[in-house]
Amino acid sequence: MAQYVKKDDDRDEEAEYSPFSGIEKGAVLQEARVFNDPQLDSRRCSQVITKLLYLLNQGDTFTKTEATEVFFSVTKLFQARDIGLRRMVYLIIKELSPSADEVIIVTSSLMKDMNSKTDVYRANAIRVLCRITDGTLLTQIERYLKQAIVDKNPVVASAALVSGIHLLQTNPEIVKRWSNEVQEAVQSRAALVQFHALALLQQIRQNDRLAVSKLVTSLTKGTVRSPLAQCLLIRYTSQVIRESSTNSQTGDRPFYDYLEGCLRHKSEMVIFEAARAITELSGVTSRELTPAITVLQLFLSSSKPVLRFAAVRTLNKVAMTHPMAVTTCNIDMESLISDQNRSIATLAITTLLKTGNESGVDRLMKQITNFMSDIADEFKIVVVDAIRSLCLKFPLKFRTLMGFLSNILREEGGFEYKKAIVDSIVTIIREIPDAKESGLLHLCEFIEDCEFTYLSTQILHFLGIEGPKTSDPSKYIRYIYNRVILENATVRASAVSTLAKFGAMVDALKPRIFVLLRRCLYDNDDEVRDRATLYLNTIGGDGSVVETDKDVKEFLFGALDLPLANLETSLKNYEPSEEPFDIRSVSREVKSQPFAEKKAAAAKKATGLGAPPVGPTSTVDTYDKLLLSIPEFSTFGQLFKSSAPVELTEAETEYAVNVVKHIFDRHVVFQYNCTNTIPEQLLEDVTILVDASEAEEFEEVATKPLKSLPYDTPGQTYVAFEKPEGVPAVGKFSNVLRFMVKEVDPSTGEAEEDGVEDEYQLEEFEVVAADYMLKVGVSNFRNAWESLGPDFERVDEYGLGPRESLKEAVSTVINLLGMQPCEGTEVVAANSRSHTCLLSGVYIGNVKVLVRLSFGVDSAKEVAMKLAVRSEDEGVSDAIHELVAN
Amino acid sequence: MLLAVLIANSEGNILVERFNGVPGEERLHWRSFLVKLGADNLKGVKNEELCVACHKSVYIVYTVLGHVSIYLVGKDEYDELALSEAIFVVTSAIKDVCGKPPTERLFLDKYGRICLCLDEIVWKGLLENTDKDRIKRLIRLKPPTDF
Repeated sequence: MAQYVKKDDDRDEEAEYSPFSGIEKGAVLQEARVFNDPQLDSRRCSQVITKLLYLLNQGDTFTKTEATEVFFSVTKLFQARDIGLRRMVYLIIKELSPSADEVIIVTSSLMKDMNSKTDVYRANAIRVLCRITDGTLLTQIERYLKQAIVDKNPVVASAALVSGIHLLQTNPEIVKRWSNEVQEAVQSRAALVQFHALALLQQIRQNDRLAVSKLVTSLTKGTVRSPLAQCLLIRYTSQVIRESSTNSQTGDRPFYDYLEGCLRHKSEMVIFEAARAITELSGVTSRELTPAITVLQLFLSSSKPVLRFAAVRTLNKVAMTHPMAVTTCNIDMESLISDQNRSIATLAITTLLKTGNESGVDRLMKQITNFMSDIADEFKIVVVDAIRSLCLKFPLKFRTLMGFLSNILREEGGFEYKKAIVDSIVTIIREIPDAKESGLLHLCEFIEDCEFTYLSTQILHFLGIEGPKTSDPSKYIRYIYNRVILENATVRASAVSTLAKFGAMVDALKPRIFVLLRRCLYDNDDEVRDRATLYLNTIGGDGSVVETDKDVKEFLFGALDLPLANLETSLKNYEPSEEPFDIRSVSREVKSQPFAEKKAAAAKKATGLGAPPVGPTSTVDTYDKLLLSIPEFSTFGQLFKSSAPVELTEAETEYAVNVVKHIFDRHVVFQYNCTNTIPEQLLEDVTILVDASEAEEFEEVATKPLKSLPYDTPGQTYVAFEKPEGVPAVGKFSNVLRFMVKEVDPSTGEAEEDGVEDEYQLEEFEVVAADYMLKVGVSNFRNAWESLGPDFERVDEYGLGPRESLKEAVSTVINLLGMQPCEGTEVVAANSRSHTCLLSGVYIGNVKVLVRLSFGVDSAKEVAMKLAVRSEDEGVSDAIHELVAN
Repeated sequence: MLLAVLIANSEGNILVERFNGVPGEERLHWRSFLVKLGADNLKGVKNEELCVACHKSVYIVYTVLGHVSIYLVGKDEYDELALSEAIFVVTSAIKDVCGKPPTERLFLDKYGRICLCLDEIVWKGLLENTDKDRIKRLIRLKPPTDF
């Protein structure tokens, strides 16, 4: 590089001078014209390529024209004899090819290189060709690539194999034809070739379990030359173990000995991979875990941060499922709290929080307090979450833990961190009644100096729900009214609502609350004024001590019982007219979300302010109101149970339909929730034709068709059946969706006048015995069992035959009975031979039922079960046995 | 998959940035995330002493070499240990090309060579060559000696 005069590094000024300073894309592109010179200056060409690489590596992009132009010029450099330049050309072609057109023109030059006697030309040509190739070209060069895979030069073989891995994504059918050659390469003596070949072979065969299993079997017995390949093999082995363990009859885990053997490998990478694989085995026993934990423990005190990190991360995961197995590492773990790497320290702390016992909590919290001040928010959030779990695990320690949370709440921190703390306090208040009063006061103090509007409003809302139920609600008023004086309009409006809640719920406070609310009538924000006016006029009593009407409370503070998205859609569709907006016209049907969203929503629901827990009966209440409002069903009486929706269509079909089974004493109503997913269609007169020929005891008595089903707006149609009173009749129902379909012009949204009748076959569903059982838990099973007494106890034994596992047998019986598992007895310990499960429920006719199930499994996986039922009615105890017997 | 190889100077300016399988719109985020990670943690770290972090299911191993910092990001089989193997190859190759832990200036002087080394080490997210002597020969289009 001529212009970059060699500099002495000690001369600072010059050392800072960059050879690329002032580099500019346009100028470099101009310079690239040297590639077209008849007399090529290799040195200068290399320099220009370096500059191009520098630009590309800085994230600079070339337009299609620019890239294509440079690409064409670069191809001319294939004529140069300079070897260094040729190597640069290979690289720059690879870099430019994604953005340039007509890259295929270099094919002939590359094909020439591919047949070159110089091995490294071949290797490079293969890599470049793989980058620019399409299916047709690949077929042409396939022969060469297959040869290259088994080439004796490891560089060529590796180039072809790695190309294969990339090409498998775009042209799988071609690459799959190379499996014989790849198989041969797996046996290569060159370590890296074996590594690459193993990766490719596994990917080629990944859908063929038997082939992968064979591959693993042969390699675990043979020689694997590089640690990298060994790690891959361990991964594939765990995959085989995962897939085969369920079929194994003997109880011995295949390949465990191999994994255990790898724990003694000389490479740390292999040892770690094996240890992790063992910890992740499903249903791993303590005996299997021990050697893996031992090596991970050694890694905890390694001088290499990467090893410490890997070990503590893995142990942290193990602590979630096998906390006892990790306790042996606690001393090493404690010394990691002061590790320079904050990720390691955080992982160590959260592991200790999971594995520690009740008596060690105070000491641990002391250690954490020092640590918290010097880590970033993201780590603090992890610690806060772990403390919340610890508090729920050891409720007696709530004072220490709540104290810790309130202390860190007062310190500096960002929104997410503060939100995590507030959510944790809220969860603890909800779960541990004794923690309520102190927790609420901590939250009150926090809002006195809270910079986050969102958190203030959420806390005020929560105070409104929980505060009035405390022994001395008046002490919160000061904190709430302070918000009205000191905060922004959003918080003030929330505070007004909270004050009103106290006024409505605590009659004694009403006069004082009225004084405060009247002051809010002069607020300079209209929302605050409007709220104050509304509450003053509706809560009633004119400031005297009287009880607020129940309907008013419901109106002011009750849940809307409407999906907000539906309300929003309806409001958007509402056109201003004489007729006021009718909230009853809003559909109550929740639009079905994609599975992933549902899971995320469920996970979110678990904790925090965002989602107050919904009582178990609230959905039934909603359904009850809904059904009562339909004249055809208003005489059916009290709704006993509504099932979860059962999907009657596959995902992503034209019409999505699910059914909710509503059980009454003498009737069953099927609520079909229908969604039309075709924008060009409007469905009218939607009904369901139900064939109940396989449900003998049911007789159809009423249907309620759905008038119109526009695109993406869910609607309901109902069919009601009569059945013998109090009898848990069962049967199978097949269904056809019938409707009138009208074409819709998507541009105007208007439907044609004439429609065509059509039908759509739906899946069938059953009414089963579990539909007549309400899941109602008891807090103390033993007491409940004793209090029901042995009068109507029925005990019998059943053989369940050979089952997949004890766990599977237990969950099948729980699902069959549809009862609520108590005291966590639905969880079966791994590899246990016997299990007792306690269930409780309410059977149709409001009969309380308790069930004690004792399971045993023998070596042939034959499961035997003893079923003891106690209930308030002899007939019901017998009915439960009949359920199981059938 | 080795998602990214990023080399920055001591001020956090990018010298080399190679992404694999990372969508264009996420690259900027990764760049600033890594540079911040380095700024927070690399002060006082010795040459080639490895730092490690994970972000969701992605692992990051990074270190200092002379006046440049090197970051490797990986997922799945490229976990923290595989990355430390890979970063060892990268640092050895850079030291080999530069003759010592480089200043920024020296690094930029040898920029073309270093790009070639990286091309031999990581190719579209897969680790291809790990032996520094072989890499040294390959970037000069010389056959490896060890077969």
